[in-house]
Amino acid sequence: MAQILPTTFYYFIGSLGLEFLVGLGVALLVYSYTGRLRGVVRTLILLPLAMSPVVVALMWMLMFDLNYGPINYFLGLLGVPAQNWLGNTSLSLPSLIITNAWEFSPFIFLVVYAGLQMIPVELHEAANVDGLGRFQTFRYVTLPSIRASIVVALTLDAIGVLKGFDLVYVLTNGGPGYSTSVLSFYIYEVGFSFLQAHYAAALSLLYLAIIIAFVAAVIKFTSLEDYLGLKKMVEK
Amino acid sequence: MKISSAIKVALLVVISAFYLFPLYWTLITSLKIPTDIFTSPPVFLPIKITLSNFFTPGSIIGAVSQTAVGSIPWMIDSSVVAGLATLASTFLIGAPSAYALTRLMKRGLWLGRLVLFMTLIPEAAMLVPFYLIVIGLHLLNTWWGLMLVYLSFTAPFATWLMMGFFNDVPKAVEESASIDGLSSYQIFYKISLRLVTPGLVAAIILSFISCWNELLYALVLTYSPFPGGAQTVPVFISGFIIIEKGFAWGGLAAAGIFTMLPTLVLGVLAQKYMARGLTLGAVKG
Repeated sequence: MAQILPTTFYYFIGSLGLEFLVGLGVALLVYSYTGRLRGVVRTLILLPLAMSPVVVALMWMLMFDLNYGPINYFLGLLGVPAQNWLGNTSLSLPSLIITNAWEFSPFIFLVVYAGLQMIPVELHEAANVDGLGRFQTFRYVTLPSIRASIVVALTLDAIGVLKGFDLVYVLTNGGPGYSTSVLSFYIYEVGFSFLQAHYAAALSLLYLAIIIAFVAAVIKFTSLEDYLGLKKMVEK
Repeated sequence: MKISSAIKVALLVVISAFYLFPLYWTLITSLKIPTDIFTSPPVFLPIKITLSNFFTPGSIIGAVSQTAVGSIPWMIDSSVVAGLATLASTFLIGAPSAYALTRLMKRGLWLGRLVLFMTLIPEAAMLVPFYLIVIGLHLLNTWWGLMLVYLSFTAPFATWLMMGFFNDVPKAVEESASIDGLSSYQIFYKISLRLVTPGLVAAIILSFISCWNELLYALVLTYSPFPGGAQTVPVFISGFIIIEKGFAWGGLAAAGIFTMLPTLVLGVLAQKYMARGLTLGAVKG
């Protein structure tokens, strides 16, 4: 148990951070590209969101394979020796984070890209007239305009990462050792492999408390409810 | 300094390749002959392709040999359970509750918050209680048991999504219907519900996909496939992987591709609803 919470924490921070950076970067890039292929690229990037996580895990199991996987092959071309991605305690969690980022960075992309598209053209024109540089335009015009999208994307993605069970179950089954046993997986394992329902129930309460604390903190410190339109919908 | 558009296009190609490659790799693995699968360096463009991975077990080493087309009983279970849970959560629970919350209740903030919060509760946190409840109801390994449990996430999701769509219907429409003498039930059923058809479609498709792909509850609440049981596709695939890991790669890849098709097609067709649904209405796409 002593290992479960730190593992969950690293998985959470690693996945959320990587997904956010990749998702935001890709969104900004696709947004700044105005060519004909924009729609095609957008559809391609969104494909992982419609896939079953179990099949995503299967795909990445093939990708990560020690002997026949393409990842080790490409690394070999760069002179990096083959790694046992899923079987090495120091690489298993990063492998899981990469898979998770592949599946859910499109979610961040989707939300941030939609936010970018809602910025009025005049705003960028005005920034241009005022002589703002590229970085300044991003810092003082673009970023404040997509604040709501970023908060929504990060919050929902954080919940999604904390919920995650399928990838862990299929790809590493919590192992090797306990190196990828995150809380959601551990609850399943305790309850249904070790058959200790009482302990699993106690862990569930802890898990629920973490989620409630997280959501409550987000609602208190950001305008998440306004971004989702809660008050507008229920108060007439 | 502007990044030149050539670099931009090159970056976009790299990004597209990153998101497409695992799918491509799985697809060609499912079409490869065995000697092309277990070889190094890997074969990126197989010359000989075969469909046999879809019909034969692909391995003689595994204990139980499954096939891609053998997943059809599991697909029946997935379709029935996902279909039932989706229809019940959208039409019986989601649409009426959402209408009541946005139109009829005066102070529904706490209830709205509750719905939002329920969409965020993780499955694992309710696993043990649901298991005990389903056993108590004698519904283990049945369509009804799994469907009832799936309502715990599809119902709040459908309700929340429909709240947004009902809120977008102009009040004047309902007011004029009211002046024409329609009761509030008739207004809901004959006017408002018709106007939120895109919302119903979004709720149905997204709920269906999430039920079809759900693993954790199905793993615990079902143990055999149709007929007689209710085990769903994700349990089939994960069991197949655990048994054949490292052996029947052609068969595994074929099963992955085969069972992924329904939700992938739905997802691509419903792209414009996906944004609004997945972001709980924050993005009006």
